[in-house]
Amino acid sequence: MRRLLAAARLVARDLAIVAPLVESTGLSREGVVLALARYLELDPSDEDLASLVTRAVPSSRVHVILSANVFTAALRALAVAWASSEHVTVRPSRRDPVFTRALVRALDDDRLVVEESMDVADVEEGEIHVYGRDDTMDSVRRAARPAVVVRGHGAGMGVAFVGRADERDGAVRAIADDVVVFDQRGCLSPRVVIVEGGSPRALDIAESLSARLSTLERAVPRGTLSDDERRASGRYVETMSFAGQVLRGSAHAVAVGDAATPVVVPPTGRHVHVLAVRQPDEARRWLAPVARSIVAVGCNDEASGRSVAGGAEHVRLSRLGWMQRPPLDGPVDLR
Amino acid sequence: MTWDPAASDALHARALAFVRAFEAGDAMPEPFDALAVDLARFQAGSVAGYGRLCEAHGAPPLGFRTASDAPAVPTEAFKLSRIATFPESLAHVTFRTSGTTLGARGSHAMRTVATYDAAAVAFGRRALTLGTPPLRTPCPVLMLAPSPLEAPDSSLSHMMQCFACAFGGGAPRETDYFIRDGVLELAMLDARVSEAIVRRQSVLVLGTSFAFVHLLDAVGDAGFRLPAGSRVMQTGGFKGRTREVEPAPLRSDLARAFGLDPRAIVGEYGMTELSSQFYEGTVESVSAEPGVYLEPPWARVVPVHPESLARVADGEDGIARIEDLMNVDSAFAVLTADRVRRRGAGFELLGRWPGAPPRGCSIAVEEMLGVQPKAPVTR
Repeated sequence: MRRLLAAARLVARDLAIVAPLVESTGLSREGVVLALARYLELDPSDEDLASLVTRAVPSSRVHVILSANVFTAALRALAVAWASSEHVTVRPSRRDPVFTRALVRALDDDRLVVEESMDVADVEEGEIHVYGRDDTMDSVRRAARPAVVVRGHGAGMGVAFVGRADERDGAVRAIADDVVVFDQRGCLSPRVVIVEGGSPRALDIAESLSARLSTLERAVPRGTLSDDERRASGRYVETMSFAGQVLRGSAHAVAVGDAATPVVVPPTGRHVHVLAVRQPDEARRWLAPVARSIVAVGCNDEASGRSVAGGAEHVRLSRLGWMQRPPLDGPVDLR
Repeated sequence: MTWDPAASDALHARALAFVRAFEAGDAMPEPFDALAVDLARFQAGSVAGYGRLCEAHGAPPLGFRTASDAPAVPTEAFKLSRIATFPESLAHVTFRTSGTTLGARGSHAMRTVATYDAAAVAFGRRALTLGTPPLRTPCPVLMLAPSPLEAPDSSLSHMMQCFACAFGGGAPRETDYFIRDGVLELAMLDARVSEAIVRRQSVLVLGTSFAFVHLLDAVGDAGFRLPAGSRVMQTGGFKGRTREVEPAPLRSDLARAFGLDPRAIVGEYGMTELSSQFYEGTVESVSAEPGVYLEPPWARVVPVHPESLARVADGEDGIARIEDLMNVDSAFAVLTADRVRRRGAGFELLGRWPGAPPRGCSIAVEEMLGVQPKAPVTR
């Protein structure tokens, strides 16, 4: 495990990887540099690593399929697999293979190899760890042989909760940091911010968040959005211009909604939906239809965070500003 | 926001004048854009959200000169806001869209259904009963849908009830509806059709694609012949409720099962958020292409670019922006999620916009809903 982390440090220091990552991820150069510098788990504590190993189920061989992840997630996926077995093969994401290939190359160990053309049906033993969307996981499960265990880690989203005791500017800075990295394409990225208190406080925080995102845009510009992401952005902005209030920047939108409406999940690409609730329980009720998809709750008060998460054990709880930096203690979504 | 009943009444009267002129074969009473602009201004002054949307577009209502100047309301807004120019207490009926796993149902309140009913019947009559030979009315109207008693908030059931009254010669009975508690009552339908065959009466069958697919599955190769000269109106997508069938095979399968010319199977396109409907013109005109939907003179389907929302060139794909002069008290212009293309005098329905899998592991809304972009929405 230590060797894998050392290999990751080598990759993170290699400036030659930045340009290919910009190309493959759609992030800006600054976004890639930020992710490599601050959001790659290079120095886990011994306790975290012990926890990761304890969670791992020993297996003769692990095959990892990375189909839709933020690029740094490959390190955790391989660490989890490596903790389970001494023989790991990985099929990188076709769209974003750069970091995975570089990491395996830097490790230079015959027991962890890239297999670009891995065919699920040919896997005879061990486990398949598949990271991707529901339909990808379903198709892997259908194709896998009965003797092979398939562990799926799906897509998800994060929610930030600003409690009554939180001071505005500190909370806003932290949330903006969580939003900006990976341009909100991570499963831990907050897309909804729920503010304890009344609507005026929610609006105040939304305005402050919009201003902070504008500031960060200068330091870490948003990368390119796909056609679909741009369409979804336009649609969300149109809808919330009607149904609420939208604060737009050159590369973000913060909309203020209402807890009386059905749940709204904005698209990725630095779009944040803000609403007010009277207490954490109300947030949990509003989020109930999407509870299964929530894998991270950011909150400075643990009791409130647990209440928002509704006691779901797969949800990562963290302080605001730390939603995208979970300890390297197991799969990112704990599922 | 102000509620101005006199202004609303006057606009309803102007909308109804379009329908009356159409029925009489006269020229329209005024330019489309003239009523469209007045509707948009009225709605911007009465519906807070629409006022905000106009402001967000930098489009002050007083500056509207044509229908296209007025921003369109996304269908998602019907799930999040009440879109009505009048107080809630004055609602005569509220139609609702089908539910989703996210629990959101769009709603469309009306303080009067007179305008809706008149427009639906006038254009439905032309789309479903004309042709050679025309469908002789009154005739039995058989509905493969739940009754308004069972589905009081379904605009489709309401529209079918209007058709039964207008083309069936009177208010329908519960026994004219053949979906009960979600089950297709095939034996009862068979009995009614047999009765019509004995009486040599053509029938009008109205139903959803969902119901027709179940009927086809149930009858298999046996067929289910309808009396000669009968007509079938099918509407809507499947939403994952049954096996999927593309429109063209569904038409030919229905024609074969019912023993009808495929041109007697007429596709309808409508939605809860609208007050107007669109039909294939295959009954009305021998030259009409299947799959091409026609608009009444009081509604337009404008393909727009999904990002810029600007009209695209004829023949190019776009998102359907629907301008509906019958939507007097809600939203005159509605931005749907359906992909369309102008073709000849009408438009083609191309399904939902195909989405590429998003980058990263942040979940897409479609994935939360458990749906893929497929068939157009129904109501």
